[in-house]
Amino acid sequence: MSTVGSGDESYDYDGGDLSKPNQLLRVEELRKEFGALAAVDDVSVAVEEGTITGLIGPNGAGKSTLFKLISGFYEPDGGTVTLDGSEITGLSPDAIARKGLLRTFQTPRKLEGMTVRENMLIGAQHQAGESVLPLWLSPDSVLADERRTLERAGELLELFELDHLATEPAADLSGGQFKLLELARAMMAEPDIMLLDEPVAGVNPALAEDLAERIAMLNEERGMTLLIIEHDIDFIMNLADPIIVLDQGKVLVEGEPDRVRADPRVMEAYLGGEG
Amino acid sequence: MSQSDSTPFGDRLKPALERLFAAVGSLWLRYEKGLADRYETLRGAQLTGEERRVLAVVGISLAAVVALLALNPVDAVVPLPVPSLTVPFVVSTLAIAGMYLLLTLGLNVQWGYAGLVNFSVIAFWGIGAYSGALLAGSGSPHELELHPLYGLGLAVVLSVVLAVAIGLPTLRLRADYLAIATLGFSEIIRIIILNEEWLTDGGLGVGGIPTLLSTWPFSLTEPVMAALANLTGAQPRTVFDLFLVMAVVLAVFLVLRRTQLSPWGRVLRTIRADEDIAQALGKNSYWYKMQAFVLGSVIMAIAGWYYAHHVRFMTPGELEPIETFYIWVAVILGGSGSNRGAIIGGFTVVIILQGTRLLNETVDWILFFVTVDASALRLLLVGLLVIVVVRLRPEGILPPQREHIWPGALSERDGGEDK
Repeated sequence: MSTVGSGDESYDYDGGDLSKPNQLLRVEELRKEFGALAAVDDVSVAVEEGTITGLIGPNGAGKSTLFKLISGFYEPDGGTVTLDGSEITGLSPDAIARKGLLRTFQTPRKLEGMTVRENMLIGAQHQAGESVLPLWLSPDSVLADERRTLERAGELLELFELDHLATEPAADLSGGQFKLLELARAMMAEPDIMLLDEPVAGVNPALAEDLAERIAMLNEERGMTLLIIEHDIDFIMNLADPIIVLDQGKVLVEGEPDRVRADPRVMEAYLGGEG
Repeated sequence: MSQSDSTPFGDRLKPALERLFAAVGSLWLRYEKGLADRYETLRGAQLTGEERRVLAVVGISLAAVVALLALNPVDAVVPLPVPSLTVPFVVSTLAIAGMYLLLTLGLNVQWGYAGLVNFSVIAFWGIGAYSGALLAGSGSPHELELHPLYGLGLAVVLSVVLAVAIGLPTLRLRADYLAIATLGFSEIIRIIILNEEWLTDGGLGVGGIPTLLSTWPFSLTEPVMAALANLTGAQPRTVFDLFLVMAVVLAVFLVLRRTQLSPWGRVLRTIRADEDIAQALGKNSYWYKMQAFVLGSVIMAIAGWYYAHHVRFMTPGELEPIETFYIWVAVILGGSGSNRGAIIGGFTVVIILQGTRLLNETVDWILFFVTVDASALRLLLVGLLVIVVVRLRPEGILPPQREHIWPGALSERDGGEDK
């Protein structure tokens, strides 16, 4: 759509595909500037319901910034984000989460002193016991909610094969187990779409395989829609379709993994980005 | 006691003691089993080794104090190292300690639960104290002499309003900003009270604050208090204050415990550990932090209101920032986030602050040939204690150790799914 010359190479940016059906998440002309640098430069992308969409790109391409803009951690300088038909641009992160968009973080963030099970319970939404007054006025509904939540936490932990660790401090988990826990915890909120920021960063290959299976299972069996940032190209190419390539704050290309892999501009973006 | 009268005293005592120990032991075991049943599936259901050790130290200290009290009648022929450690002294110290416990519990909600750095503990305390003093004191410039409960009401309302006013702009920002704002707020409150003489009589202070025991309905307990006062040698109003403040401490403790074990408390813990995660999981961290900040501040104001009626004279000099840091020391010593820890930390600091005059006597008793003012060492002692605790137990004496899950939700779920 536009042509940008950076140094000696120059190539066309296709932009994202906004014509797909059943768009659960739609981002239009989203923009974020840090000083003179446009970290996210009028990005337009859409995520189709029920897909696993991959988001790749060289370091500094603006992937994480885009995530922060979508999930409300950054305020955009322009553009709109629409979730399931309603605009969520500029809402606070917690409001966006309550609307059904959950995100995970790139670096594992462990909650000091909490067990795996407690971690799971935090994910649950609309708990009677999350307000002070019901603790005295309607302790029965607090108890009922808590039981239901615990039961759901147990099921999800089983699904993610973490049930044997339920009462262990989450800080004792390995990197990979913790990533699984993050996924399971996000599932507790019963989201419509999940944004995963590098789910297998720093995870050993065996566990990465395991994670890929869980993610695929969430997608296939539970119809979960996912948007995933990943640096591990093989991992994401096997898991996601379509793949969106971000470079210098813009969408370079979007398409099936094979098409993206074959696109010379992608290789160039990665190599150019390094140099 | 079926033994014959000829057995020596010791021989008769032994089985009696054994029976006593057995009875106490079985009671204790039953209590522990009750606890264990309730937290059946929780990890570390019984008291952990650490908790046992802390309990032992507390028990031994209590026993030592009781023994000293028993050996220390007012008219002792041979003075002990601590002649001032008498029952009336202990009663009045505990009545003050109760106030400190409220302050530590209040700060524990803010710092321990939510990770809020509040450096204006003494300001909220002062707001409560002056609310009581100005509305009820006969020496107040407003000459209202209202019932103390009006002062309590004003203390609660003012502390809520001011806590919200501070929280609105600062709780959205990083933790540092709340710290700076509260530090400034604390001094502002102290200087307003010192300088606005039309409002507070300034440095002259407010006197003539009635004791709580002198007002209805508290006065109904007068005969009981008088009897207890006779028994202990303390003043009836001090005895009453002790009962009252301990009842309030217990009530606050139970309220806070319930909030801590609830999903509400869990959200606060999450916010303290990582606010981004809390937000990413749909929790309005701003609103939760505000609640914790207000709740803690109200508890502090109640402590101040109680203090004004306890000592019956308030001056702005009592609002020195150092008091805020004593409370911080108490919460950190006890173990941030733990209400039991806040209680133990509060007691420890009170013992250091109030107990230094006993130390003076002891030092004089041992080193009778020199004059030493050991009470001047209290700051040094507080500092040393902090260093020792941070070195040996970086998480405090009794940090929170159990899962915070609503009581009953676990065991019954595992017992049978259908209600």
